[in-house]
Amino acid sequence: MLRLEGARVLCPATGVDDLLDVVLDGARIEGLYPPGAGPAGEALDCAGLVIAPAFVDLACQLCDPGFPWREDLHSGSRAGAAGGFATLVAAPATSPVVDRAAVVDHLVRRGAEAPGARVAVSGALTVGLLGLELAELGALADAGCCAFADGSRPVSDAGVLRRALEYARPFGLPVIVRPGEPALEQEGVMHEGVVSLSVGLRGLPEAAEEVGVTRVVALARATGARVHLSHVTTARAVAVIEGARREGVAVSAAVPARHLLLTDAAVAESAYDTRFRLMPPLRPERDRRALIEAVRSGVIDVVAPDHVPLGRVEKEIEFQYAEPGAVGLESAFAATLTALDGDLALTVRRLSLGPAAVLGQLARVAPGARADLVLIDPGAEGPCPAPRWSRGCNEPLQGRTLRGRVVRTLVGGVDRFPR
Amino acid sequence: MTEGNRGRVKDMLGLRGLSREQLTRILDTAANFRQVNERRIKKVPTLRGRTVVTAFFENSTRTRLSFELAAKRLSADTLSFSASTSSTAKGETLLDTARNLDAMRPDAVIVRHPASGAPHLLARHFPWTVINAGDGINEHPTQALLDMLTMRDHLGDLEGRTVAIVGDVLHSRVARSNIFGLQTLGAKVEVAGPGTMCPPALAELGVTVRHRIDEVVERADVIMMLRIQRERLGKAMMSTTQEYAALYGLDEARLRRARPEVLVMHPGPINRGVEISPEVADGPNSVILEQVSNGLALRMALMYLLLGDEGGSDAAA
Repeated sequence: MLRLEGARVLCPATGVDDLLDVVLDGARIEGLYPPGAGPAGEALDCAGLVIAPAFVDLACQLCDPGFPWREDLHSGSRAGAAGGFATLVAAPATSPVVDRAAVVDHLVRRGAEAPGARVAVSGALTVGLLGLELAELGALADAGCCAFADGSRPVSDAGVLRRALEYARPFGLPVIVRPGEPALEQEGVMHEGVVSLSVGLRGLPEAAEEVGVTRVVALARATGARVHLSHVTTARAVAVIEGARREGVAVSAAVPARHLLLTDAAVAESAYDTRFRLMPPLRPERDRRALIEAVRSGVIDVVAPDHVPLGRVEKEIEFQYAEPGAVGLESAFAATLTALDGDLALTVRRLSLGPAAVLGQLARVAPGARADLVLIDPGAEGPCPAPRWSRGCNEPLQGRTLRGRVVRTLVGGVDRFPR
Repeated sequence: MTEGNRGRVKDMLGLRGLSREQLTRILDTAANFRQVNERRIKKVPTLRGRTVVTAFFENSTRTRLSFELAAKRLSADTLSFSASTSSTAKGETLLDTARNLDAMRPDAVIVRHPASGAPHLLARHFPWTVINAGDGINEHPTQALLDMLTMRDHLGDLEGRTVAIVGDVLHSRVARSNIFGLQTLGAKVEVAGPGTMCPPALAELGVTVRHRIDEVVERADVIMMLRIQRERLGKAMMSTTQEYAALYGLDEARLRRARPEVLVMHPGPINRGVEISPEVADGPNSVILEQVSNGLALRMALMYLLLGDEGGSDAAA
């Protein structure tokens, strides 16, 4: 028995928000007790901290196997735990791609040894993530995948996407897609607008995301599949999702945490700093405000770290040649809390409850629940550091003042916070 | 321009953000340098012992010749590097290439590169002066400066003047630098071209967007035609070269609707019969070759201001 003493327990699922002791029995929560009232045992002083359900990332680029200079299961898992994440769903865009059961087996086995956050596996929706032929979704599900996903390039053939959603539905797993239209994204390296015009970079029209969301929503409605949109970054896409939700279409949506803080102006202000080369790109202020509003209203139910670690060889080059992406696991919590003006309950809803629900799980601090817990110092404030545990070098929030800090992460009752 | 140590202006990366005073100082200095090019001995000792490298990662003849001659006339040692004869084809990164240049201790590197922002990357990493000789679709500041110098010769102060830029404004670094520089000097810029090349969003840069060339020709003090190369454009950017010439080409019939003293400019190389007819290119309103000779004086002036001892601290500021 381990007793976490003196913390404020914040469990949006049950409505608990009080000073309580949390008693753990192995991997599970034994019970919540008024301060000092619980069973005796080893105690951990958590005074001044908040205990909440640990965070979940549904689309994490762990780059393993295939890209060890970017990340691997070991480093990514530790970065996740450092950021308060107990569960990372590894994205299938690895080499080889996670499009057959043997690769899932390998990842499940190696993931079990991960030192930090738990590693779950998502399987590729199409063979090689090429968007042409269906992968063996049944075999992937049997091997232990918790979701199906596409790659960084959206399935552009609506016919293939329709069949993939139909085929995936009976397996009962969510399908994670990044909404986009490759034909419109082609040469764009940043949001198309006054900033791209001014700095002379090829723009990516916001219509690309709107077209993608519209296509996915229509097909989700037609097929009845459970679809999660992994990257929603424009006000127009939010409006499409809002309409679909009103009609009861089973679609959930995530926004990258950094898109709640940064705008495309950063590309100009930084004189082409490749840390701001992202996909989807940073958007103008009006979109940023709309995204925060959508996170508050619940149209966007997940805030994601959108962790895409990259090496120096991929970033210390010309802006338009640089790989898009940024690390996010270690900064997502503070970025979200800062963007939401310190609203901790909402932050926990979007980082824990929202993504857990996509996986069909209930994130809560309650008797009998798995002890996936994050201990937070909500009052901490300081500049966002460079990534410490991730191998990625690309943190666009570095140096920005952020609120809140993760102090410990318990994964199945074990403190996995890296030291 | 970015500032180096001691507040000295170190680089010329673009005209975006430069002040009217900075632009005027460069143009005034260039006007003074012109007389050097009229002498029998066309050389001054200003940059003796200094090393200027031209690093061109994209084909160019005239811009490179202009920079090299400008450096030589200032007595600098010049070295030229081009991507086709270098190791970049073997996959060396820009920064690694630049580290090799750096080992030769240059004082200035003139960069042309197909990627927007490449000169900015170099300026951030190295102590030497970087002069942007054209980066991707971003800026070509020395071209715009020589254009403005040519306009000033004929029109005097550019405040209140109207400059029409016709063609693929969206993807033109010449147009972008001119838009920034001309507006800073108080000129009004109107652009015209197909909807794909002159999208309405360009208005956010402060210009007036038109789609019919006749609308801009009539009131312009200057008409600047941009080069069109269908084969270098993206998919579905235009229909045929013939239709482009019919809709946006500048020929004598169109020019007759313009002010009699209108200046016709082109950054070159020109496509005779496409964006400009031979009669107009060679006609009395054309100042295309004046642009070339002004380019030399302008580049001398810029290197003098950025590198010369007399320039120093706030020479270009």
